[in-house]
Amino acid sequence: MHDHPLDLIAALADGSLSDEAEARALIESCQECRDEYRAQTEVIGWLAAAPAAEMTDLEKAALHRDLWTELRREPGKASTTPWWQRLSYVAAGLFVVAGLVGVLNNVEFAGGGEASDTTVAEASAEDGAVEDAPTEEVPFVAQGNDDSESATETTAATAETSAGGEDSLPLPFQELADEARAAQADRVATLGTDRDVEECLARLALDEHVVVDEIEPDQIYLLVMPEDPEAEPIVTFVALPVCEIVYVG
Amino acid sequence: MTVPGNEAELLTRVVSGDREAFDAVMRGHQDRVFSVCLRILGDREKALDATQDTFLTVFRKAGQFQGRSAVGTWIYRIAVNTCYDQLRRAQRRPSESLPDHVDPSDPSAEEAIESAAVRPEIEGALAQLPADFRNAVILSDLEGLSLPEVAEILGVPIGTVKSRVFRGRRLLAKHLGNQNHQ
Repeated sequence: MHDHPLDLIAALADGSLSDEAEARALIESCQECRDEYRAQTEVIGWLAAAPAAEMTDLEKAALHRDLWTELRREPGKASTTPWWQRLSYVAAGLFVVAGLVGVLNNVEFAGGGEASDTTVAEASAEDGAVEDAPTEEVPFVAQGNDDSESATETTAATAETSAGGEDSLPLPFQELADEARAAQADRVATLGTDRDVEECLARLALDEHVVVDEIEPDQIYLLVMPEDPEAEPIVTFVALPVCEIVYVG
Repeated sequence: MTVPGNEAELLTRVVSGDREAFDAVMRGHQDRVFSVCLRILGDREKALDATQDTFLTVFRKAGQFQGRSAVGTWIYRIAVNTCYDQLRRAQRRPSESLPDHVDPSDPSAEEAIESAAVRPEIEGALAQLPADFRNAVILSDLEGLSLPEVAEILGVPIGTVKSRVFRGRRLLAKHLGNQNHQ
């Protein structure tokens, strides 16, 4: 068998010869070569008949999600912001998150009123529901709600916060922050693939920003900061799905 | 072998962290990468892991692409090496072989597994081939890549690929009982 030009036979079998005359003549004159040719073509035919292996759409989606989750853990590649700066952003943002989440636990947001980008929430002392309750600056603007019951709750919550200062937040800061972060860890990792988020940030002219955290006690709040490491690290909270800025500072 | 300009340019953009460029590269090659991994590893879940690892490597090493081959060839070489690594790890830490994983929330997965299946007897015969022969046959005859591409992917001369493919087919035929040659 070693005297036979088997590579020629193999090439004939897989169709890679430009001139097949020599090989054709060979298999005509040699039984062993003919058997070899038949075996090779049979195997090629069986393998060629196998359909392509494909991922399902869900598998593809999971692949992209997991890949970007992994890449986001790598410093300096998937994001241009240095990891230490992003970490400092998150730390700074958590101070804001604490205040925000603390008040969100007590404030009724369901009214669907308009939010603004100022930093002061003027809880409803003007409503007169609780006339003597002091108001307190909190790091967001609560959406307006004319319902007196909600207004009462809002004012009372504000009074509670005010009376005890920061120590009287419903939960200790660290626990609160940990809860918010743990609950959203997976989702935050995949925010980059969320077209709604991207569209919202673009609409708010925040497309040069990076999402560094997210909380969702009642609805989704994104904590975003400038992606440019040279830019001033201003914290912005965006409410989804209404896509409104609820805090800048 | 030519380098498709747009793909090479996409890789350049990947180096600078361009996510859209990377997604485009992935879309262009993810199916074949998965297919190659599935044929080599013989397990859907492992193939998915290897596909992810392959593209992680592509992203990390995009800057090392020198344009001496097609982007696809470069990516498939990474895929094959990733599968080799996974097989080596599995040999060092043998574990019970699990059936193909199917996401219970993904009804199309069962169908995908069935449609991608090589005939069981051929699958079995392929599994018995020495790895070098098997991988050459998979890339050449199952994935339809050219001999120069297979040579580039496997990092061996074309003559070696020819020999491996030929001998691999012959062993397959032998295992399948359809020929008399050694």
